[in-house]
Amino acid sequence: MTELLRLEKICKTFPGVIANDNVDLSIERGEIRALLGENGAGKTTLMNCVYGVYRPNSGKIFWKGKEVHIHRARDAIALGIGMVHQHFMLVPPLTVAENVILGLPSPREPLLELSKVEAQIRESGEKYRLLVDPKARIWQLPVGIQQRVEILKALYRKAELLILDEPTAVLTPGEVEELFVILRKLAEDGLAIIFISHKLEEVRAICEKVTVLRGGRVVDTVNACDTSARELAKMMVGREVFLKFDKPKIEPGEVVLSVKNLSARDNRDLPAVRGVSFEVRRHEILGIAGVDGNGQTELAEVIAGLREATGGTVSILGKDTTKKTPREIIAMNVAYIPPDRQHTGLLLDFSITENLVGKAFWKPDFSRSGFLSKKKLDLFADRAIREFDVRTPGAGLKAKLLSGGNQQKVVLARELSGNPDLVIASQPTRGLDIGATEYVHKQMLEARARGAAILFVSTELEEILSLSDRIAVMYEGQIMGIVPAQDADIHEIGEMMAGVRRLGEAVGSGEKMG
Amino acid sequence: MTDKPKTYIWQALLEKSFNILIPVFAILAAFLISGILIIAWGANPLEAYKALLAGAFGTPNAIATTMTRLSPLVFTGLAVSYGYRSGFFNIGAEGQFFLGALAATWVGITFTNLPGWVLIPLCALAAALAGAFLAVIPGLLKALRGFNEVLTTLLLNYVAIQYFEWALRIEHYRPDINVTWDDKPIKWTFLNWIGVKDVTQPFPQSPGIVEAAELPKLGTLLKTGLLNQLFGQAHWYEEFVANPAVNRMTLAPIIALVFVVIMYFVLFRMTVGFQARAVGVNPDAARFMGINVPRTIIITSLISGALAGLGGSIEVLGAQHRVIPNFLVNAGFDGIPVALIGQLHPAGVFLSALFFGALRAGANKMQILTQVPISVVYVIQALAILFAIAGALLDLQSKIKIARLAKQTEAAGEQPVAEKEVSGA
Repeated sequence: MTELLRLEKICKTFPGVIANDNVDLSIERGEIRALLGENGAGKTTLMNCVYGVYRPNSGKIFWKGKEVHIHRARDAIALGIGMVHQHFMLVPPLTVAENVILGLPSPREPLLELSKVEAQIRESGEKYRLLVDPKARIWQLPVGIQQRVEILKALYRKAELLILDEPTAVLTPGEVEELFVILRKLAEDGLAIIFISHKLEEVRAICEKVTVLRGGRVVDTVNACDTSARELAKMMVGREVFLKFDKPKIEPGEVVLSVKNLSARDNRDLPAVRGVSFEVRRHEILGIAGVDGNGQTELAEVIAGLREATGGTVSILGKDTTKKTPREIIAMNVAYIPPDRQHTGLLLDFSITENLVGKAFWKPDFSRSGFLSKKKLDLFADRAIREFDVRTPGAGLKAKLLSGGNQQKVVLARELSGNPDLVIASQPTRGLDIGATEYVHKQMLEARARGAAILFVSTELEEILSLSDRIAVMYEGQIMGIVPAQDADIHEIGEMMAGVRRLGEAVGSGEKMG
Repeated sequence: MTDKPKTYIWQALLEKSFNILIPVFAILAAFLISGILIIAWGANPLEAYKALLAGAFGTPNAIATTMTRLSPLVFTGLAVSYGYRSGFFNIGAEGQFFLGALAATWVGITFTNLPGWVLIPLCALAAALAGAFLAVIPGLLKALRGFNEVLTTLLLNYVAIQYFEWALRIEHYRPDINVTWDDKPIKWTFLNWIGVKDVTQPFPQSPGIVEAAELPKLGTLLKTGLLNQLFGQAHWYEEFVANPAVNRMTLAPIIALVFVVIMYFVLFRMTVGFQARAVGVNPDAARFMGINVPRTIIITSLISGALAGLGGSIEVLGAQHRVIPNFLVNAGFDGIPVALIGQLHPAGVFLSALFFGALRAGANKMQILTQVPISVVYVIQALAILFAIAGALLDLQSKIKIARLAKQTEAAGEQPVAEKEVSGA
């Protein structure tokens, strides 16, 4: 009776991949439904079919009992479906109210009247605890607030169904709880909410019905509270998952990377790293934990020579590298795995071979007096592809035609095949499925065994805990504390991630919190 | 992948030749669609095209004209395509071309005592430096201050062309002469070292360059070279060499072809080109790989400008032998469509320059014989650009490559994997 949305046998294929395979789903008014699945399970694809981004190859969509054909996002919005994408669709220089009204007629056409819109934003803000200043400009707002703007945008468009794609990926644990409170209030008001997630804990935390997807199919729909995390994980992955693995104990060696009182600014020229100090030794993995956007990315870039330090020093194997260029640092046998393989990690329009030698083509191994040796490039590429198990029909293929996991293998092959002394891995598992993630972990441990010092930046606490020898937690550009992994307490780390507490005075950063 | 099964060699060749096939199909499609226009206009497109073709390739003389038109376009096409590939959108090839022509002329009328084998390279060098100088200004502004090179290169065209026109009106210093064409006494100043105007002529034009600076004619070469020793006695050879068209042809198209090969190597086999292409497809990733992006942009602007400048010298040394007002308008701007139709690939650039040269050379004959207006040629050009861009977007090259490699691995008994990245979850 109160059924709002029903999907029947939705199929969606991409060349070579079945993203959704006969998916059935039914959502009722006032319901919060979690869609749980690994990366690549087809969650986002399914929701994009509902929102009109993709059109399913077959299957039917019913809205309030009637079959509908959604060709584009505009159709979905007209029906009352709102979606908050993982990457927000906001215009940074515009205000909140301007963003909310973007694409809609103003209340007083042809004049732009924002006061009514602003009033309405304040009203629903109070009603649902979605407090935002309607006159604030988007770029000034933290991501958590930007997410609220996206939700307000959907509400302003009279959404009855709200789809949230990985809404918690950018939030601190505290903000996640706030979001859940908001979602509950919205549901009480009769809105249906679908939220996509691959995190077991938060699905259990919100404690509603959860539909698990695997390989494009629905595995089951269960009540999250009645199901253990282990069972959910098994449904998600299709096998038992061992999140902890044995890591051989190796005594750390000499200091490879030494960072002293380092400061740097972000792209908006605001302080991002504030007086950070630490050391990493051979045979050691230092994990940098923290919620995305707390200066970890910038810290890694400064060490790789890609971002200017505004204070402090970086030294690698005893040499001061603070003012060195990226290539000089590469020449010191330093590997850097950037967080965004599509944009900064790879040249997607270049062949796999060209990507593999992207950092070393100028070395005498590959070129002589400016001429590249095609033979040596091909030999190297063939070996690297075999060694790192890149699944590709050929080395001449453009990197953009590889799957995400194989793209990351190309990056790893480029970075690790030269036996680096220092590895800076900035979110190397972001967006990878479990198999590819395990592969990255294995490579990190092998590099560690070979004697590399590894700086491992990740926002996934679990992998930090299982991989690191020591864990540093960053919050607002500072290190809140460094703890040995074996006596790490997850709650303590969680609190440090939220900026609540710093461990002792002896560790880490120098100056006081701004 | 070590032993390639023989059956797939053709597909591999097909992939390699895509930079040629796309322009060929684009040009054919353009002719096809323009045919409809000609029918609507009331003429027979087959006859019109026949006349066009005859005007471009029908006689040795026609071929000589086509070749003369092709040569500068190859250089400006290479200049634009090298820039485009490397993220430096050089809209200033026109100005660089004019400055190059001016510099080559100046050398060719100043150092009149040098032998040809010194003078010709010197003219070319001067032209390359002049073009590079004009292009490196936007290059530096983009690399160091983030200026948009499209605007700066475009606007510098006007500066360069005005300078060209000015230089044409300042008498070039001649030690043996102290009166102008109308017998007025002339007082030489240092400005006359820069000017190129012929002091003996009333018009704003330069004197002809010395003969030594002119590119050797094919006829002359054949009369003296190795071929002459082999076939010199043969009647047909004498006749061929004596043909005025053969005598009109110069080494220009061959030099252009040499530069096509050179630019292929620079782009795909040298570290300079590797870095430039990397900056072109994604400057952020290039920087993350340790490439010095500003430096690469500056080098790219120098190379691109030098090529356009060389185009100017080829026109002076090979065809016109002097500079005059509106010396060869649009050779630089035409470099843009030449590059686009040629898929930004040196071989494709040569082909599309040939297409442009043929259209220019044959258009008159078409109008005379079939009354189809010359402007149809521009319609054909424009359509060819559209089809070439559309063809490139299809990215058939990658598709065929995937299919072939998948078959190949299957044949080798390996696991075929050609997944396509699926966005999102």
